[in-house]
Amino acid sequence: MESIEKKLREEAKLLLAEKRVDVIVGFEKGTLPLVATPCFIENPDDAEKLVWNACCTQNLAKFVHDVLSQHRASQVRVKPEDRKKKVVGVVGRGCATRSIVLHLQEKQYDRDDVVIIGVPCTGYIDYKKLSGKLGGEEVLDGAAEGDQIKVKTASGEKAIALKDVLAASCLTCRFNNPVISDMMIGDPAPPMDPDHEYDDVNAVEAMSVEERWAFFEKEMDKCIRCYACRQTCPSCYCKTCFVEQSQPRWVGVGEDETDTQVFQIMRMYHMVGRCVDCGSCSSVCPMGVDLRKFLKKLDKDVFELFGNRPGSSLDDQPPLSAYTENDKENFIFNP
Amino acid sequence: MSENKASEGWEPRIVAIVCNWCTYAGADLAGISRIQYPPNVRIIRVPCTGRINPFYVVKALQEGVDGVLVSGCHPGECHYITGNLHARRKFAMLKSFLTYIGMEADRTMFTWVSASEGERFAQVIKGVTEAVRALGPATKMVKKI
Ligand code: SF4
Ligand code: SF4
Ligand code: FES
Repeated sequence: MESIEKKLREEAKLLLAEKRVDVIVGFEKGTLPLVATPCFIENPDDAEKLVWNACCTQNLAKFVHDVLSQHRASQVRVKPEDRKKKVVGVVGRGCATRSIVLHLQEKQYDRDDVVIIGVPCTGYIDYKKLSGKLGGEEVLDGAAEGDQIKVKTASGEKAIALKDVLAASCLTCRFNNPVISDMMIGDPAPPMDPDHEYDDVNAVEAMSVEERWAFFEKEMDKCIRCYACRQTCPSCYCKTCFVEQSQPRWVGVGEDETDTQVFQIMRMYHMVGRCVDCGSCSSVCPMGVDLRKFLKKLDKDVFELFGNRPGSSLDDQPPLSAYTENDKENFIFNP
Repeated sequence: MSENKASEGWEPRIVAIVCNWCTYAGADLAGISRIQYPPNVRIIRVPCTGRINPFYVVKALQEGVDGVLVSGCHPGECHYITGNLHARRKFAMLKSFLTYIGMEADRTMFTWVSASEGERFAQVIKGVTEAVRALGPATKMVKKI
């Protein structure tokens, strides 16, 4: 980890100094202990701030899209010959690079608008699990060191194994190394446990229809519709999201539970073939809604029906903008 | 609650979203051929199944319909060539997802009826109405106004 961080800083500094990128999106130390926060680095000397450890939770592709789309909007009123190009460098692990592939497939920006500094990933911390391990005690100080997390709380110091607090998405991640990159830092990370990626989904499928509805209702009942999940999701980049649209008003703004359910169904449905299981939405949710149990079902179906793993390859076609003549039809009603 | 409604002579309310070129014409044919089918469906005509936003289905369920039927041209016969092939993928995913979260599978139905299949249209409506009747009134995700 140490050496990855060191190389990452060197590489980032060089990219900025040589003006091959205008900004680097990475992680820096957060203001709270044991937290890393996304950062934007424009000055080569600031490259020292970059960190890479198990506290880096968010999918950075979101910010690549943000920066590039804002830049494009800022150039609209500039004369074509005076328009400037902006190149974004990004610290990209498996899931972030998959999101970038999706952005490229969806023609959000060009490949040469982004420079991907590929990093291997051994997973990040699920802070809800960590808090469980600490009995809800506040973290006073801490450091993520390799496969150990050192935490200091009011009741003393503890060492926790990273594997005990890894996010669900990471435990069964199939793509923990970048799928595309312009340079690679460190050796590829050892594989996680993708054979069990659908265990949670299979468990839900095994329930009765009433149990499943009760589960969905219970999870969605927690949701306060803060829209943090949408804000953090790299695939949620519409300028006007359906939840804010007023013509037509798809979802009511009150606290009616069915509006929340409809919001969730539709946000998740928009992830068909577009969710990379980065877990960012689950990790930012303040209410602990188990979004992954539902999103992963879409992932499973997309793979079973169309053989597609979202964002895994630039050559793929997004499953909902493609078809074959013999797509499965067993859901069609025939009297 | 479902028993109450049923004993009050509850009748299923079904929304059928159908494409202009095939199923709507099929419904027309059923009409002019005087083929009887249950009066429980309200038909919404759209240009093509490819034009149907899956949101329509979810919204209809929220507004309290007991069943939704989507029907268009048979694969290979779409007026816009591939609209229904795209729709087939969208609706395969939608139906599977709605079932996964605990909606009854028979509340959302998808099928193909061509312009010459007046008889099939009547059969489909009968079949869907019976399936929805067996489920009883919709209770899940219904907005109370
Ligand atoms: S982040 Fe959680 S609480 Fe907020 S809208 Fe999303 S699911 Fe609901
Ligand atoms: S829906 Fe959640 S897990 Fe999927 S890509 Fe968006 S943030 Fe990541
Ligand atoms: S026109 Fe009938 S499905 Fe496309």
